[in-house]
Amino acid sequence: MSAAQSHASPAAARRSFDARVASALADPLLKTAIDRTTNNARTKRAAAIAAWPEFPAARELGRDIKDHVIAHLDHYLVQFEHNAQASGAQVHWARTGQEACDIVIAICRKAGARSVTRAKSMLGEEIGIPHALAAAGIERVETDLAEHIIQLAGDPPSHIVWPALHKTREQVKELFLQRHQDPGPLDSIEAMVASARRELRARFMAADVGISGANFLIADTGAVCTVTNEGNAELTTTPPRVHIVTAGIEKLVPSTVHAMALLRLLVRSATGAELTQYTTFHCGPKRPGDLDGPEEFHIVLVDAGRTRMLADGLAEMLRCIRCGACMNHCVVFRQIGGHAYGATYPGPMGAVLTPALAGLPQSRDLPRACTLNGQCKEVCPVAIPLPTLLRGWRDRIWRDGLEPPAVRWGFGVWRFLVLRPALYRLATGVAVRVMPIFARGGWIASMPLAGGWTRHRDLPRPASQTFMQQYRRRPRP
Amino acid sequence: MSEARSAILAAIGATLGRRGDNRPAPGSTATLAEADQLRARAAAVRPQRIPGPVHLAFMARLTSPGVAATTEQVATLQDFPAAVRRYLAAHGLTAAVALQPHPDLLALDWAGIQTHSQIGPDEPVAAGLALGGIAETGTLVFHSSPASPTLFAFLPLHHIVAVAADRIWSGLEEYADAFAGQPQPRNVNLVTGASGTTDIEGTLVHGAHGPARLHVVLIGGA
Repeated sequence: MSAAQSHASPAAARRSFDARVASALADPLLKTAIDRTTNNARTKRAAAIAAWPEFPAARELGRDIKDHVIAHLDHYLVQFEHNAQASGAQVHWARTGQEACDIVIAICRKAGARSVTRAKSMLGEEIGIPHALAAAGIERVETDLAEHIIQLAGDPPSHIVWPALHKTREQVKELFLQRHQDPGPLDSIEAMVASARRELRARFMAADVGISGANFLIADTGAVCTVTNEGNAELTTTPPRVHIVTAGIEKLVPSTVHAMALLRLLVRSATGAELTQYTTFHCGPKRPGDLDGPEEFHIVLVDAGRTRMLADGLAEMLRCIRCGACMNHCVVFRQIGGHAYGATYPGPMGAVLTPALAGLPQSRDLPRACTLNGQCKEVCPVAIPLPTLLRGWRDRIWRDGLEPPAVRWGFGVWRFLVLRPALYRLATGVAVRVMPIFARGGWIASMPLAGGWTRHRDLPRPASQTFMQQYRRRPRP
Repeated sequence: MSEARSAILAAIGATLGRRGDNRPAPGSTATLAEADQLRARAAAVRPQRIPGPVHLAFMARLTSPGVAATTEQVATLQDFPAAVRRYLAAHGLTAAVALQPHPDLLALDWAGIQTHSQIGPDEPVAAGLALGGIAETGTLVFHSSPASPTLFAFLPLHHIVAVAADRIWSGLEEYADAFAGQPQPRNVNLVTGASGTTDIEGTLVHGAHGPARLHVVLIGGA
């Protein structure tokens, strides 16, 4: 099992997808927590897009910029490396998550690091940096408020933009009362944020190494762009002696101007704002005369399955800029939350990515947990055809014989019937006569063999005759 | 790890090389032309900014609910210390300010305010000078340098920033184009409003780790 899958709490990963979904649906607070954040995000995104009539064309540009970079990925990687090195950065390359973690730990050891601050990075979660630091005996201080919350709770992230989305304010209050040095009364969200600010202040200044991810790597300057609303990235990367960036190789853009076009799409799609409060381009270590900034600046370029995605027909997924809009609009995610996916990336983008990163046999349930309603594709700011990619995985699941026996058996029965029209008509004729027995009004609330459906919603009462019966009675022209 | 480097580049090359659709070779003039064409498309699809002179659009964006900064306008940089004094008095703050070590700020008369050039982790107030601003988004631009340390924009609880009215760019592209081809500073910090977080139930709260209040003093432009 690769890092991408194993990082979601080991107990959760061992349980089956069905068991994780069942416990998510049985948690009464979870649905409240999911609704509070995703409803807010969807409302704000909708307002931002409504105020931007050029959005459809802007999204085509975003798609084309990413496709251009992916089609010239080797060129831009080499150009970025050259310019980053010219700025004094040290550039490292890692084929796997394990290689990347080894590089990060080696840099930390060489720096004699005891304490490391981290600014939220989904790639860092994907490749298992939290575990690598723990294994190396290095203290890890998460500085993004949501990451701080889940670090205290011992939870994996449940959303790529709001990792603590599964926590209600009441649960955060309880957690801070138990774990903060000086929490105060915590009678409002403002008070909780202030308590976290006090708690983390000294830790920012005391860290030996700061680790961040990257939203964009700018090829023509060698700079690394990070975006936050809290200001925690800069407080993570500026005071420590060493700054380490871990970034997926798909994060490249040709220039700052190309990054700006994608930033507009990213921020509006994620939070509905026009620009993140802090949008920073980091370029190399401290310069002569600088009063702050790191003395060493390392960039680790991580493949971890991306070149394989490029080769295996998943290049479109490499466009993803991690805005989270697809999961905020997904009917499945909004019922079961992020943890049920059992991987770093949840929701529609996660259901496409996880099989590529962690392997299809371990994640065969994810592409199937989708209604194919197409909402994710509609809101995606770089027009990734997520439903098509999910169907592609379903096709592979079938061809590789990974469907559960019950599904294969069900399709076998269906195939047997549809190849024998007389038998098929007989079976459907029986069904339309038997099903109304269980109906009350226009709906069936429970019926033998249909419990899996009716436990969560009603079945409509079928028409009184099958399609073929009605078709035959139709007056001929 | 050069072994990893060549393996990654070889894997990409092998996949891209197999494409039969006449993609330009890496680094060719055709690649650059394609990147330039994409760049040129940005202007037509970006959102309309608030109409009118750029410095007024910039001020209007700063006070919009999305940015939620406070603003005032003074005639010259010599008026900046008085603006800082007014802000301190209005908020009941002690007259001690971490002053960004910019020569233009150090040359001003700070009578009545204790200034220091070191910034502490719990600094109540810092006063600084931005390199410029962006009207489209109400963004302040800082380029790190000995005269502009990065932490001045992140450690204080109140950040008071002077910016010259004739240093406001219309949009993100105009800012980026103004510095294209020039050496990239160690840090470019684009600051749009005070620090905020929506990490607890999606509710916006200011003052997460960076400043809780941002006050912008526009110099000139009257």
